[in-house]
Amino acid sequence: MKETLLLTKHMRENPEDSHLIDSYEKNGGYETARKTLINGSPENVLEEIKVSNIRGRGGAGFPTGVKWGFLAENEDRYLVINADESEPGTFKDRILLERDPHQLIEGIIITCFAANIENAFIYIRGEYAKPARRVQDAVDQAYQKGYLGKNIFNSEMNLDLVVHLGAGAYICGEETALLNSLEGRRGEPRLKPPYFPAVKGLYMKPTLVNNVETISSVPWIMENTGKEYNKLGVEGSTGTRIFSLSGHVNNPGNYEIEMGSSFGEFVESLGNGIRNNKKVKAYIPGGASAPWFRGDQLDIKMTIDDVANNNSMLGSGAVVMMDEDTNLVNAAKSIVSFFAHESCGQCTPCREGTTWLEMILDRVASGRGRASDIDLLLDVCDNISPGLSWPPKMTTICPLGPSAVSPITSLMNDFREEVESLIPTKVLL
Amino acid sequence: MSESIKINVNGNQIESAPNKLLIEACEDSGIHIPRFCWHKRLDPVGMCRMCLVEIETPRGKMLVPSCTTEVTDEMVVDTESEVVKKAQEGVLEFLLINHPLDCPICDKAGECPLQDQTMAYGPGESRFVEEKRHFEKPISISEIILLDRERCILCARCTRFSDEISGDPLIEFIQRGNKTEVNTFPNEPFKSYFSGNTVQICPVGALTSTSYRFKARPWDLKSVRSTCNGCPVGCSTELNSSQNKMLRILGIDNDSVNQGWLCDKGRYNFEYLNSEFRLKTPLKKLDNEFMETSIKEIYTELSDLISDSNTNINFLIGTNSTNEDYVAFNEFAKNFPSTNQTFYLNDDYLYAGFFEKGINRATIDDLNNSEAIVIWSEDLKENLPVLYLRVRQAVKNGAKLIVFGHSNSTLKDIADFYYSDDIVSENFEIIKDISKLKGIKEHVKDKNVTAIIGKSTPYQLDENLDKLVSYLVENSNSKIMNAFSSGNTFGAINNLDNVKNLRDFTKNVSAENTDLLFVVGSDPIGRSVFSNEIHRIIQDIDNVVCLDLFLHETSELGNYIIPTSSTLGEKEGTFTNIEFRTSRIDKLVPSPGQSLSDWEFISGLSNFCNFNNNIDSLDGLNELAYQDFDDQDSPSFKNLDKPSNFDGIINDYQPNISTELNENLTSKYFVGKKLYGDNITIRYSDSISLLGAKQFIEASESTIEKLNLSSGECTLKQNGHNVSANYVVNNKLADGVIFIPQNRRNFNRFDFSETIEISPNQSKEALNVN
Amino acid sequence: MSWNDSMIKQAKKIIKMYPQKRSAIGPLLHLAQSKDGYISDDSTAVISELVGITEVQVKSVSTFYSMYKQEPTGKYLLSVCKSISCEINNSKEIIDVVKDFTGLNNNETDENDLFTFEAVECIGACGGAPAMQINYETVEGLSSENTIKLCEWLKKEQPDVIIAEEMQDNFGGTKSFDWAIKDQSGTTGSVPGFQTFNTTKEKK
Ligand SMILES: Cc1cc2nc3c(=O)[nH]c(=O)nc-3n(C[C@H](O)[C@H](O)[C@H](O)COP(=O)(O)O)c2cc1C
Ligand code: SF4
Ligand code: SF4
Ligand code: SF4
Ligand code: FES
Ligand code: FES
Repeated sequence: MKETLLLTKHMRENPEDSHLIDSYEKNGGYETARKTLINGSPENVLEEIKVSNIRGRGGAGFPTGVKWGFLAENEDRYLVINADESEPGTFKDRILLERDPHQLIEGIIITCFAANIENAFIYIRGEYAKPARRVQDAVDQAYQKGYLGKNIFNSEMNLDLVVHLGAGAYICGEETALLNSLEGRRGEPRLKPPYFPAVKGLYMKPTLVNNVETISSVPWIMENTGKEYNKLGVEGSTGTRIFSLSGHVNNPGNYEIEMGSSFGEFVESLGNGIRNNKKVKAYIPGGASAPWFRGDQLDIKMTIDDVANNNSMLGSGAVVMMDEDTNLVNAAKSIVSFFAHESCGQCTPCREGTTWLEMILDRVASGRGRASDIDLLLDVCDNISPGLSWPPKMTTICPLGPSAVSPITSLMNDFREEVESLIPTKVLL
Repeated sequence: MSESIKINVNGNQIESAPNKLLIEACEDSGIHIPRFCWHKRLDPVGMCRMCLVEIETPRGKMLVPSCTTEVTDEMVVDTESEVVKKAQEGVLEFLLINHPLDCPICDKAGECPLQDQTMAYGPGESRFVEEKRHFEKPISISEIILLDRERCILCARCTRFSDEISGDPLIEFIQRGNKTEVNTFPNEPFKSYFSGNTVQICPVGALTSTSYRFKARPWDLKSVRSTCNGCPVGCSTELNSSQNKMLRILGIDNDSVNQGWLCDKGRYNFEYLNSEFRLKTPLKKLDNEFMETSIKEIYTELSDLISDSNTNINFLIGTNSTNEDYVAFNEFAKNFPSTNQTFYLNDDYLYAGFFEKGINRATIDDLNNSEAIVIWSEDLKENLPVLYLRVRQAVKNGAKLIVFGHSNSTLKDIADFYYSDDIVSENFEIIKDISKLKGIKEHVKDKNVTAIIGKSTPYQLDENLDKLVSYLVENSNSKIMNAFSSGNTFGAINNLDNVKNLRDFTKNVSAENTDLLFVVGSDPIGRSVFSNEIHRIIQDIDNVVCLDLFLHETSELGNYIIPTSSTLGEKEGTFTNIEFRTSRIDKLVPSPGQSLSDWEFISGLSNFCNFNNNIDSLDGLNELAYQDFDDQDSPSFKNLDKPSNFDGIINDYQPNISTELNENLTSKYFVGKKLYGDNITIRYSDSISLLGAKQFIEASESTIEKLNLSSGECTLKQNGHNVSANYVVNNKLADGVIFIPQNRRNFNRFDFSETIEISPNQSKEALNVN
Repeated sequence: MSWNDSMIKQAKKIIKMYPQKRSAIGPLLHLAQSKDGYISDDSTAVISELVGITEVQVKSVSTFYSMYKQEPTGKYLLSVCKSISCEINNSKEIIDVVKDFTGLNNNETDENDLFTFEAVECIGACGGAPAMQINYETVEGLSSENTIKLCEWLKKEQPDVIIAEEMQDNFGGTKSFDWAIKDQSGTTGSVPGFQTFNTTKEKK
């Protein structure tokens, strides 16, 4: 199995200076944007994006062309790049920001041209200081060259781009929370309806929110056409995707591949197998929010639909391998505790429920569990995500609450004995 | 009328207006969906998740919060399915795991939605065995409000109220997730004029008021509906008592008036009712000492005095009486031609107003339907507080706001145009051509306008206001609201044949032309800017009868003191608000000792004098008040007590205000009233008395610099009259303007037409309080 | 106001970057953090004035985000990841080592104001788990031994500028991906090194 390098080509070929504008331009960078702005039309860009059938890389996998098409008319519209990458296991946007910021900026220019937007923001999580510095330098260079600001490439188009740093809140990756945060408020998700970003987004104006990887793909698509992009991968999961591989693998890292091969192949060839030749006990196919697969499910194909059909999600593209020695209760606890810590606290079931789950798991993990705790865990989960089905139903405002349920149902469906073995059997009353 | 749509709830068809929230549509059809965070008057946030219901969608049944979901035609809803019940039980359990369950010592117990719903839907026993979240038990977040964060269920009602409605967001969520709590900023208390509303809408006992804490349990409360007579807004209230003591006042959601809200003065200015200093027996002054006497003796002595119809009698009447009281005085006065039916109202601000034919009178609701709102009056927030809220609401809904300064600096932040400095002079005169002002040209000319007009200060000349009003009447489709600001002023001008103000009193009344003066519920010496003159005049009059709740600077001068019942909770009658909307005043508690209603006293006196006035029953007075109106339209008890949407508005009445004196009045300072003052009732209401006691002046930073003030405190001096005060920076005031509140103790003794020397006291730090 | 003129100038520049003033709160809080090592009540008041909202509204925002510290921090903020990829790669050990070395529990600062320790959620270095950040500069592929060495080095050298590359070369291991470029810019203090906050520092 081999990688297919679209977004990571330039950085691979120019390891020393891929982040600098000269290097980027020497390799054809900004040409696509220039041509598009001078010869292209917004309609044409939108058409290419639709033909490419690219789906959002932020987690929800929504078709990007359709999203752009929803953007409501208004004098003021905004583009916000979601670079809040905080889903445990995920570090793909980090490489794009750090190693090829101009590719993202070029994508932003083309996107804003297509959507008639004059103000764009890149919202980068606060912990990504180095990536943010690189992006800021790149933005400054682009301004100097006249690729941002007034009359870009001597066209009619104006565009201002602000790099905004977050401050430690995973929930701000959720697009409406991100907008609140960018408005200088608490990062609490908004109600959808009525606050769909495409209609009432930043400052209540129509706003596009897209992931770093999504927009970084735009220059390639415009240079090579949507049709070419569509040929890569499989139907419904076209193009390439950068997967972040971590856990007990020999070669963790970011790999850009066409979607369609199996997780097993991926781990064996690119990941060079599991460390110490151990077996996989379980793995997470798409970030901490995703329900787990068992070690005997490695033949599932890495496409949005295949993973969904097996009751999980490809999500943010983070694959975490857990070998046979892994203490899965601790693993689940780590994830639940993540969501409890990151809950914004707006809605009752998530605020109270995730913390309660964490407390119960903690009890069980440390051998203080009770026989009734398994039912209790499941019932509390059910009160956050009724029916415990996939995709999850929710009693909450946003999917963060139900995300905390995923590891517990995985544990209970497939590894219940492991939990039970931790509960003292003879409890004297 | 807008069309209605049909939705199916639990198998039954119901109708609803389109765009309604599901929770409201269900409520209107008698289907109650439990909720904590949703409040009709606040933007929905969908946070508590208690109101989840199932609706059918193309992708199957979906759980949605009914408080954020709008109805759509043919919507199919299940509010009782197993899934819904399980979800609601789940939410309740989640809320209870960290709740202290200290109902036995909680003020809210008995009327607590959390407690009620726990009974109805809650889990039997707790599955939560861990340690609950702990916070320091109630912390005081202002002089009058306490917060118990352990009880808080984080519904955001209080935070939304203070942000959306009152516009003073001083209480907020702090931290996030499971650590979230409601709190204020250190050293920045929840100092809002509307804070009591948050106590009322808090769905649990997290927010409580000092005045009500531990005082009663809801199940032994008695209650009546009434009207607040604190100012002419006339908010609808519910009065609560226990064991014949007034304990609490709640706001009632009257859509056209207060929409459920009250200001804190209206809500908390009641403790005086139970004060030990209340007058309980009639008094008579002998050798400068008050002696207890009987009402009969006073009647006898007075009837001797007034047996002669040529006795010169004058009336100084307060604004705290009911319409029926005013009718009684009016009828009584008819026996004395010398009075010319003249009543001096205890108000520095009363002037002729704008009631002429050709002027359309505004209702409060008109604010919501106007394109522009023009305000030139006393500070609304300080003097007509809930009207201020309604103005904010209208502005939020899109009305343009044009304010003529300097008095409404509290509106400056939300005003589209704020005209002070070079447009309104320090003498409150418009010194530019009104028609050329940008805001007027763009938003007023030929537009639907509601104007709130009143004197900004006792020293403003009527003609300055006239100019603005004539412009509005001639150039726009305007409605005018006369912003008189004290108590039942509109009832007084409606029921008294001829009304004048305190300035007229100082010019017209003297010992020479007055054999007998009635002073009714008035303390002009304590709060009028004409205090000194009034003091001199009253002192010289031989026979002064004071009807009052307390002895104070004015009633002290009386020869006869009649203890009266308070219009708040101690008597029945009617009240007329700023829109000439008449509503019920009701009685809940007995008044102390031998107190009488004003009308009862007058009617007794009238009988003693053998006058034939026909004023000896409340119903009779009420009928008399509205005898000129069609039976159908009149806001008589009979009509008001009918359950209907009768609005009580009498719009075609032409009040007879004949203030004469309007010249020679100047002030070097901007003199006005603050919400809390050193009024006698506030002085005897413990929880708020301090709020009205602080003495201070306000000015912009640069003005303060010019005065060389630097240490927070200063002394005001004039002819041997010294008052020590704080100064407060108010940068919304135009440079050079110094605000002095007239209703703080001793301030009204200054002669504002002359210079007051303001000098720094070096000692103390700047206190940023009022 | 307790911010000096140059900070106020910087703040006003930041405010201008946004269509609405309130959006600047985030960067202004970072600025406040760079000044005092935490968000003081004083800074909160300054920001509230600059942006035109109440102090408690500013506080409501600042307490929502974990990077705005409510208590003073030390010269080095040690943030060790405890999320899933690190958890299954022994992050507990790294946490214990750091706790031992500094004698600190979660969110504590030592008496010399040198170290503040915190166990944090995923810092996007999962491929190089276990990982940590020092003043938001990342080191990946940690071992217990190297972690101790790193702490010792910090204590001994007390470098003014923290640079990820330098730490990674000397104390790190497996990386999430090839960092490729030699970067000499870093940060000082418990705030991200970023141009807008004037917190980026080059090593001489
Ligand atoms: C709890 C939560 C966290 C999320 N975090 C991220 C994130 O870190 N980065 C991201 O791009 N999208 C994230 N998303 C998805 C965004 O809401 C949004 O769908 C995405 O930014 C859209 O961009 P795309 O269409 O290009 O994928 C998150 C969603 C949720 C519910
Ligand atoms: S589900 Fe959790 S994170 Fe999402 S809105 Fe509710 S409380 Fe906030
Ligand atoms: S204090 Fe009361 S009103 Fe405010 S959030 Fe808590 S429960 Fe709601
Ligand atoms: S606004 Fe006026 S009527 Fe309403 S509560 Fe306050 S004082 Fe009473
Ligand atoms: S009442 Fe609907 S969510 Fe609270
Ligand atoms: S899980 Fe530790 S860096 Fe991602």
